Amino acid sequence: MSKSKRDRSIPRWPLLWLAAALLFTLPPMFGSLATWVPCLFLLTLALKFWMEPKGYRLRFAALKLILAALALAAIFVSYGSLNGIESGVSLLVVLMSLKVLEAHTAREFQVMVMMGWVLCLCGFFLSQDFGIALCLLTAFALLLVALIQFHRGSSPGAFWPPLGTTCKLLAQAAPLVILLFLLFPRINTSFRFEFRAIRSASSGFSDRLSPGSIAALANSSDIAFRAEFPGSKTRPPGPMYWRGVVMWHCEGWEWRAPYTPAPVSQSSKLGGPGGRALPGQSPSGKAIRQRITIAPHGAHWMFALDRPFEIPPGAMLARGNYLWSVQPIRKARRYEVISSPEVGVNELTPHERQLALELPASISPAVRELAQSWVAQGSNPRATVNNALQFFRTHGFRYSLSPGEYKKNDLDQFLFHRRTGFCEHYAASFATLMRLAGVPARVVVGYLGGEYNDLGRFFLVRQADTHAWCEVWLPDSGWTRVDPTGVVAPGRASLDLNSFLERRIASGQMESRRNAFVTQLARSAIFTNIRLGWETLNYEWDTRLLGFDADVQEVLLESIGTASRGPLFLITEILVVVSALLVIYFGWMQLRTRSRVDRLKALYERFCRKAARLGVRRDPWEGPSDFSMRAAQLLPNESERIRQISNAYIALRYAPEPGSIILDSFAKEVSAFEAHRR
Amino acid sequence: MSKSKSKKAEAIFCISPFANPIVPADHLFGVTDHVDTFTKQICEVIVGKNQAVKLAVACLLARGHLLIEDIPGVGKTTLSQALARSLALAFQRIQFTSDLLPADILGNSIFDRGKQCFVFHRGPLFSQVVLIDEVNRATAKTQSALLEAMEEHRISIDGVTYELPEPFFVIATQNPQHAVGTFPLPESQLDRFLMRIELGVPDRASERAMLLGMDRREMLKELKPVIGPQTLVEIQDHVRKVYASTALLDYLQDLLDASRQRHSTGLSPRAGLALLHASQAWALMHGRDMVLPEDIQAVGIAVMAHRLGHDIEQPGQSGRTLADNLLHSVPVP
Repeated sequence: MSKSKRDRSIPRWPLLWLAAALLFTLPPMFGSLATWVPCLFLLTLALKFWMEPKGYRLRFAALKLILAALALAAIFVSYGSLNGIESGVSLLVVLMSLKVLEAHTAREFQVMVMMGWVLCLCGFFLSQDFGIALCLLTAFALLLVALIQFHRGSSPGAFWPPLGTTCKLLAQAAPLVILLFLLFPRINTSFRFEFRAIRSASSGFSDRLSPGSIAALANSSDIAFRAEFPGSKTRPPGPMYWRGVVMWHCEGWEWRAPYTPAPVSQSSKLGGPGGRALPGQSPSGKAIRQRITIAPHGAHWMFALDRPFEIPPGAMLARGNYLWSVQPIRKARRYEVISSPEVGVNELTPHERQLALELPASISPAVRELAQSWVAQGSNPRATVNNALQFFRTHGFRYSLSPGEYKKNDLDQFLFHRRTGFCEHYAASFATLMRLAGVPARVVVGYLGGEYNDLGRFFLVRQADTHAWCEVWLPDSGWTRVDPTGVVAPGRASLDLNSFLERRIASGQMESRRNAFVTQLARSAIFTNIRLGWETLNYEWDTRLLGFDADVQEVLLESIGTASRGPLFLITEILVVVSALLVIYFGWMQLRTRSRVDRLKALYERFCRKAARLGVRRDPWEGPSDFSMRAAQLLPNESERIRQISNAYIALRYAPEPGSIILDSFAKEVSAFEAHRR
Repeated sequence: MSKSKSKKAEAIFCISPFANPIVPADHLFGVTDHVDTFTKQICEVIVGKNQAVKLAVACLLARGHLLIEDIPGVGKTTLSQALARSLALAFQRIQFTSDLLPADILGNSIFDRGKQCFVFHRGPLFSQVVLIDEVNRATAKTQSALLEAMEEHRISIDGVTYELPEPFFVIATQNPQHAVGTFPLPESQLDRFLMRIELGVPDRASERAMLLGMDRREMLKELKPVIGPQTLVEIQDHVRKVYASTALLDYLQDLLDASRQRHSTGLSPRAGLALLHASQAWALMHGRDMVLPEDIQAVGIAVMAHRLGHDIEQPGQSGRTLADNLLHSVPVP
């Protein structure tokens, strides 16, 4: 290869397309990879556009080696290892950056496009979000455009055709993609491949409730779970208390859940682990069936409306009537659960009573005195509870997102001085006070409210909706929910946190931290609808596409009448179907080619008939070139046209690669042949 | 590689067939020019026989062997010598006679006293261009000795196989069958020749030019080699790559089928290949990278006539007439 050919620069347009495509592979990298990696990538892309017209490029092998070694070292320093998804993808991105600087031949351009496709794939390792998927799909298509543009060469006006070709190619591939998506055997392996370490921050709560732990989540927009109600077109009425975990252990103002929860004791158990409710006890009247898609959080919590009684497989009902997954939830999981607000436990075992009254010794005398004062007024537990609520209502307690730091277990400070707190402050202190007053009590942590999406008919519950409330044991009604937060912040129970805060801001009860205009805009009908639509799409993506695993596939296959007989059988079946489809496709292509030839022949014969009408008859054994020469001689006026038609016919009939466009223009030319004469 | 590919793709997309007449594929320009020079040089020596000369060149480019049949004195030997000299190839001439033996052309083993063993001495056939003069004067035995050399480009003697040099090109001349003292070539031998051409008596003007011009022998001496062996092989490779579309192959097979239906000795598959290769060479000589029915028709008589001439059911007809009838009755599909 000559030097000039080696140093040929990559044409501008394909390079632009490639750069655009690579930009679209960036979003999943930000936030999951070390920030310098995508930044370096961006920088090299910009650098390439500066270097390419000047003919600069990374040429020296030694320099390339040094840069590669530096990159490797930087990745090792950033992640502490070269193992794992993040460092692997980072390595690929960094090497791709170097390749961008180095590339200048046609082959290397193709290599870059291929690597771009690999980057698209890697993006899915980092995030499977719907938005990210759209980005990567765009990147995939743009890479195809870049490749097509590159192979077309730099003929002018070749901007739109590659786009059209790409769309056509993608459209042709779509049926195959859908078929493979539905039919390609998915295998549930027992080993777990952790795509990404689950960040603890994304988990709404820990097994510990301390003042300020929930308030810290109030600004998180991470999704905790989504719930729909199969068989019901509307949301269930009333406040939505999503039960998460029940905390039994009181450590003063802090509460803790058991490390390994005990299952519901035999006598008070209502639902068996098989997902079947005991006959006769099922409160079918108010039962609410929920289908919940939970985001991975790495712990065992599972959520359901207060209170679950028919539990999904792989979970157990822990003491305190809450769900507990047997395996930690590391990937999105979907389950169905039935709850009923009327499920009550009619019996409190002595052990449970002891648990529900346990108190640490460190509680100050002032607090003990306060609790005792409520008992003195009446021996009825219900009256005690009402007294306590009355205390919170009348002593100037305030509900605040930022109540400020409290000293450890400083219940006095909260109850007698500052009197400002978030839900966990109220729930924890109320439950402690109840125990001091001799009423068995426990704290429940879960979510309250959530946003109902009318479009997709599902509840979207975010981490910000995390809530804590109390349950007290009343002899006549069993465990009864008491939410002291409702006393200080009336209305919170029927709304999700954001709407509640907005309402308070609107009524002037709270200072807004955001620009009023932005708030106004965000609340306008059109934006709300767009947001709801987007969330619905996201939900569909998560449940229908990402949730399409081996079990769902089997259900689908059974529903279309293919009884599953193991993956091997499925693969054989698919091979048979695919080869049958291929045969049909090739047959169709053959037919098309044939019809093309037939059309060509018919057109040429028409031309010959027209020529015969003008007096020049073609002998059957006369070749097209000979005939054109003879006819052109006999019809000098038409010679140019005859020559053109014949040449087109020859090109279409005998040339190695006639363009498909020519046939139509040939047809036009033939029909114009005699008409022109008239 | 990719550059030429993209250029080709561009040509397909951008050049409308209506804008230009059939443009010679531009990658063929060099080849066609070379062949043109070569043909012109020979035509200067053989005046007024352009068609025959072009056929001879096509035969050479298609890697076939050439049989020239005509009465003595029309320039058969001159044509073959002009071809050989213009090619810068090793040239040998063998005059066939009725007492010629195979060993005389292939070579034979002679006992070497010094080395105390037989040593093989290569005959005149070990050359690149071999002119066999009056091939039908030799007996069938000697004629058959040519078979392996012509088809396989190698010679087996005493159990040893010797490869012949490449390119290997046999030009044979023969007198018409009715001449005295001739042994007609067997069909198998005839089939080995890609083409049989006839020179015929020149027209009046050409003959005058010849009479006035230089002595042919002097002209032959002054001929300069135009195509080297390497270039020739490259051009021959190019010929095989000239595109034959399905439509063309349909026509070719129609011709073969028709010959088989009409004649007891129809065209053999080898004849079909010969027809294809010869027309590919013809197309290339005219600067096209695709074969047209006209190319087949141009080389058709030269390729088919000597293969059809043995039809016992039509004894009166010469092969030439039969081939001509074929070409004028099989329609171009």
